[in-house]
Amino acid sequence: MTQTSKGILIFAHNNEEIDYFKLATINSWYIKKNLDIHDITVVTNQHSYDYNIKNLGKQFVHDAISNIIILEKNKTFKNINRRLYKDTSHSQKVLPFYNIDRCDAYDLSPYDETILIDADYLILSDSLNQCWGHDNELMMNWSYQDIMTEREDPTLKRLSAFGITMYWATVVYFKKCNFSQQFFNTVKHVRDNNDYYQTLYGWPGSLYRNDYSFSVAAHMMSGFIDKGIPQLPIPSLYKTFDTDDIYSSPALNQIIFYLEKPKSLGDFMLSKWRDMDIHVMNKWAINRISEELITYVSETNTTT
Amino acid sequence: MHMTSKLTKALEFSNYRTTLNVQHNNLKAKAQSLLTYSTNGGTFNIDTALITFIEMLIKRKESSVILLDVYNNPIEIVNLDEFLEEILSRYFEATNEYYAEYSKLKKSRKVHKLIDLELDDTDQ
Repeated sequence: MTQTSKGILIFAHNNEEIDYFKLATINSWYIKKNLDIHDITVVTNQHSYDYNIKNLGKQFVHDAISNIIILEKNKTFKNINRRLYKDTSHSQKVLPFYNIDRCDAYDLSPYDETILIDADYLILSDSLNQCWGHDNELMMNWSYQDIMTEREDPTLKRLSAFGITMYWATVVYFKKCNFSQQFFNTVKHVRDNNDYYQTLYGWPGSLYRNDYSFSVAAHMMSGFIDKGIPQLPIPSLYKTFDTDDIYSSPALNQIIFYLEKPKSLGDFMLSKWRDMDIHVMNKWAINRISEELITYVSETNTTT
Repeated sequence: MHMTSKLTKALEFSNYRTTLNVQHNNLKAKAQSLLTYSTNGGTFNIDTALITFIEMLIKRKESSVILLDVYNNPIEIVNLDEFLEEILSRYFEATNEYYAEYSKLKKSRKVHKLIDLELDDTDQ
C-alpha cells in the first residue's frame, strides 16, 4: 500500500503593517512541534519573502518551512481589496487584504492530503492530526467559539440576515480527489463572478472574503443544502476578536489574552489559553509576542 | 463600609466570577478536544455511552463491528479490544487532566491565580 503524503498549506502576503510571512514562519515551528508534520508549504510573494529573509534569517525561515511558493501579486486586486484592521478598539487602520489566491490551494498543494490554515490560526495542540486519513474528502467549520463565550456576533453566522450559513475558510482539510477539485473550481468561479454571487447571496460590503466564496461553494457543492459540507473533527474553531490583545506567552502552547469586555468596550479581562489551537484576529498582538513564541519552539535563533 | 468601597468590592468580585467562568469554559473545551478520537476514517466522541456499548459488545464476544461515527458514517472497527483500550486511555487522560486543572481553579480566589500569574498578594 502506498503512503499518502500529508502537509500543511499557508498563504502569507504581507501588507504595509502586517507581517503575515513572519506569522506563517512562527506557526510553522508550532506545527512541526505539535503536529509533528514537517511538510509545510507557504505561498507568498517576493517582497514578503525577502523582507523576512532579511529580518529572520534564511536558515530560520527554511528550517521552519519546507516548501515556499512565490507568486506575483495582482496589483489591481491589492489596491482594491482593503479592510479595516484593529489593534484593539483603540487603534484601527484600513490596509490591503491580499487573499485572492487562496482558492488556488488545490492546484498549489503538493500533498495528497492538505490542511489549509490561516497564518494567524496558531497551532497549539495536535487536534488537527484527527483529520488525516478521514473518510470525508473535504471538511471545514461553520461553528466557531469565541473564547469569552458571551460575545456573540450574528454577522459571523450567516452571509446575510436571512442567508446561508457562513463557513470559515480559516481551516480547510481536503484530499486530492474529484470532489475537492470541483469544490475549489467552484470557489474560483465565485471569486471571478463576485458581483453576481454577492447579489444572489446578499453578503454586505465590497470586501472580497474567502469565507463568503467558500460558503457559496459549500452551498452549491452540497446540492444547495445548508451545512452540507462536514465540519472538521475538532469540537470547534476557537477565536478571539481583533479588539482583544495578548499579555504574554508564559510557556509552550500558552497565551494569556486581554479579552475586551462585551458591555464595557475598551476595558479588558485576562484569560489564559492552553494547548488548543486558536484563531488570533489581532495580528499586531501576535507580532508583539513573537520573540516569546519563537523561544519555545525553534531550534535555531533569529538574526534579530 | 462606605458605599464606594462596597461597589469596588462588588465589581472586583464580578471580574473574578467572569474570569472564573471563562477559565472553566476553556477547561471544558480542552477536555472535549481530548475526547475527540479519529480512527479508520471516522471520528468518535469518547463518552461513557460509547465505552459501555463497546464493553457490552466485547462481552457478547463480538470482535469486529460497524459503528456510526459523529458524522453518522459507518466505520468498521476490526479489533474491539484495542479500540476499547484506546478510548479508555484517552478518557482517563482527559478527565484526570480536567479534574486536576478544575481543582486548582476552584481553590483560586484571585484573578491572577486563576490564570497562574505570579503576583505579590500583598499588593492586591
